[in-house]
Parts: sequence; C-alpha cells; structure tokens
Amino acid sequence: MINISRRTFTGFVGAAGALSALGLSGCGGGPRIVVVGGGFGGATAAKYVKRYLPSANVVLIDADKSHFTCPFSNTVIAGMNDMAFIERKFDALANKHGITVVTDLVVGIDPVSKAVKTKGGNTFNYDKLVVSPGIDLKWGALAGYDQAAAEIMPHAWKAGPQTMLLRKQIEAMPNGGVVAISAPGNPFRCPPGPYERASLIANYLKRNKPKSKILILDSKDAFAKDKLFKEGWEKMYDDIIEWVPAAKNGKVTRVDAKAGVLETDFEKIKPAVANVIPPQSAGAIAISTGLTDKSGFCPVNPNTFESTLVKDVFVIGDSCIAGDMPKSGYSASSQAKVAAGAIAAMVMGDKPAPMSAINTCYSLLAPDYGISVAGVYSVQDGKIAAIKGSGGVSPMGAPYQFRKKEADFAGGWYASISQDSWG
Amino acid sequence: MKRSLAAIPAILGLAILAAPAEAGPINVMADACSGCHGTDGQSVGAMPGFDAKAADAKSAAELKKLLRDYRSGAREATVMGRIAKGYTEAQLDAIVDHFKK
Repeated sequence: MINISRRTFTGFVGAAGALSALGLSGCGGGPRIVVVGGGFGGATAAKYVKRYLPSANVVLIDADKSHFTCPFSNTVIAGMNDMAFIERKFDALANKHGITVVTDLVVGIDPVSKAVKTKGGNTFNYDKLVVSPGIDLKWGALAGYDQAAAEIMPHAWKAGPQTMLLRKQIEAMPNGGVVAISAPGNPFRCPPGPYERASLIANYLKRNKPKSKILILDSKDAFAKDKLFKEGWEKMYDDIIEWVPAAKNGKVTRVDAKAGVLETDFEKIKPAVANVIPPQSAGAIAISTGLTDKSGFCPVNPNTFESTLVKDVFVIGDSCIAGDMPKSGYSASSQAKVAAGAIAAMVMGDKPAPMSAINTCYSLLAPDYGISVAGVYSVQDGKIAAIKGSGGVSPMGAPYQFRKKEADFAGGWYASISQDSWG
Repeated sequence: MKRSLAAIPAILGLAILAAPAEAGPINVMADACSGCHGTDGQSVGAMPGFDAKAADAKSAAELKKLLRDYRSGAREATVMGRIAKGYTEAQLDAIVDHFKK
C-alpha cells in the first residue's frame, strides 16, 4: 500500500534513475502494468488500471513531455485557440494517481521476455502491456508524400508542430487563395475530422480572407456525418467550400510538394495551401512488435482488447481493429477502460466483465454550430457492434438553438474527457 | 477477492479515498459515461455532472427517471437519447446506482 511510484522520470535520467525506474516497476510484488502512449487511450488506461487494481505498479511511457490532442486541434488551425489549449500534461497521472510517467521513446517490445525497451536505454518488464500508439502515417502510400513533403504540405493529423505549420500557412495566404484538403480513404483517424477542419478554416476565411476558397479533394464518395456537414455548408459556406468526391476525380493520386502541386487522375492543382491527410496505419511500435495484420492495424479480442497475435499485450485506440467503433479519442478512452477492467480481472484471476463501450464525438462547423455522432457498443456474434436502435447522428434540419447547444456541449465534452483521461 | 481488498483499508483504519478496487460489469459499463460526465460523474464543463457538487444535483430517483425518459424519447435530448437507447432500463438504473453510491 506504500505509494512509491509518485515520481516523473524523463528521458535524461542517468544510470541511477534508470535503476530506480527498473526497481519501481518490479518492486512491491504488485502486478507490473506498462502502458505505451499517453494519448486518450494510454492515459485513460493507466489511470483506470490504477483505479481497478490499486496494487498495480503502472508505468506510462510517452515520447513527449505532454500530449497535444487532435480533438480541438482544428480550432487551433482556425485561430480560435492556441496550442496551450490542446496540450495535456501528465502531472496529475503521476502526482494524483501514483503512475510512474516516463518520457522516452519505446524502440522495442519483446513479448517473450515481456520487456519494453526505450531509446534512453531503459528496460521495463511487464505482466500486462497496453499499447496505445495512435496512428502512423504511411509515407509513400500516396506517391510523392514523405516526411520532407509534409514540411511543405502539412498533414496536421498528429497534433503538434504540424498543427501550427498549417495555421501559419493559412494566415500567410493572400485573400483569394485556395486551401486544398486531401482526405484519405477509410479507415483513418477521426472520420469527420477533415470536414470539421474545412468548416472551421472556412469560418476563418469568411471573416479574414473572404475571396478565398476551400477545395476538399476526397478519396471517398461519402463521409461521416456528410449530410449534416453539407446542410451546414450550404447555410454558411456555400461560396467557400467545394467538396470533390472520388467519383468526380477528387482522389489525389500524386503530390509534388516542391512544385506545390496536387495531382488527381484528371488534373493538376496548385493551391495556395495544401493540407494532405495521407493513408494511415497502426503506430510504428505496433507494427515492429508484430501486432498488426495485413490491414496495417491490430486484431484484438473484442471482449478484452488483448492482441490475438501476442499474449498479454492489449492494443487500444486508433491502432486496433474495433469493429463498428470509429477511430476517435472517445473510442480510445472507452476501450482503455474495458482493457483496464479486463487486465484487473485477469490479474486477480477473475473473468473479465462483458465489453461495454461508448463513442461520442462532436464536430464544430462554426464556434456556435455543433453536430454529433454517438454509439453504444457491445460484443455481438464475436464482433464489436453498435447496439441496435442506439446511436446515430444529430437530426437534420434542427434549429439554430439545437446546433448552438451541441457546440456548447462540444466544449463540455472536451473539458470532461480531458479530465477523465489525464486529470 | 473483492471482499479481501475492501477489508484492507478497514483493518488499517484508513479512509477509502478512491472508488473500491473492482472491475465488475457495472463499473466498466458506467465508467464509459465518464468521458462526457467526468470521472465519478464530476463534470468539469458544460456537461451535466452526477455528483452531489453538480450545479443541478439530482437524486438517484430523479436521474433514473430522466434516463428512462431519454431512452423512451419522452424527454427531448441532443445526444443523450441516442446513448440511453443503448441500454436496458435495468442497466440505466444500475449505472445511476453506481454513480450515486
């Protein structure tokens, strides 16, 4: 019961620090739970493992000192908020919940010796491991789009420096310029994200650069909440946003970042700002550990989120294949609780509780115009599926007050899930 | 197992600060709500909270009726109706009892 893990380690700890880190994760006789990744999934998993299993020694490892959330990063791009608004620190996890927070990059996981190795030279042994690395971008999957190209044509699909890069390009763009957003095919992180982004950039342009346009070049013919987005665009941004579906040659097939050109099968486009959201896979560490299948994502037991490929490793969030659940922050956080509950039960020799999870996800079309999608999930016929009759999207044709209320709830959602995950 | 864990603080004479250490079906089901309504129902923003400190704190009976009405559609909602329909009435009651315990 002695709380000895109330310390924060950094990647710069010396040999003594490394030794004590090793000692911490192994001492006290409590089960050793290591969590890789400090986003919605990982942070929630660390916190809830500790809630369900207070005797556990929980170590949370993230490459960065803090996490910038993708939810609300579109408000930063559109100039409504600054980066500090979307920065989540790990202090409460360490100080309030007794989790050992390590700032270091995980470079290898050995499922045989059950050890996690970091770039800083530390090794963390685990009894159960949670892997929540989010997505990685599939460099080269879209011809011409690699890391160097992303410095010219930002993806901004992992919040951080890329978020500000895109914002600065839009701010520097002349009135009358075109912002092109290349949206990927399914599956990808945050299905409504590209369209919320287009909406909020349009909101900024309408007020600051009213002659400008947004071109959404899509690899799909339908997208999440599409009818609701189109309804809102018609009301607010009819002369600004143009969505080009795959059927009308919207799919970007090649980029030439140096020339500033996006190519479809039909034409070459040279926008003032190009936001290229490329195809995605599970995080690199999931791939190198052998947790992914040929889809590039991780198959899991739908009841527990334990990998079907590697024992005692649980994969949650954007990296896992979660049936009907979309790749969202709320999904990751809800899955984290299911995995935490399963881990606690398994460690104690109990049967895990039945899987039960929620996704609730808001999109802003303007600061006072919000829409939502929700779902409640259980395991049905061996797969994670939405419970019949539940969930769905906001109604079409709702009055202004309804959209305004959902915009207010979007802010409340963000405050609460931030607290629930990191607070 | 649950009994023995719960007994430790009692033996030591310590106050229980956190939720009891268990991951039973209702905990896992109810904790999914906390993403919007805050850990243990302690909402920090525009979403309604369930705890006694919530601005419009409701009794367990009031909350149960509210959720049943969201589920049946008797009460208008933005998103809560869509979510309440994912549970049986018995499950909604159990979720309320979890947050109100």
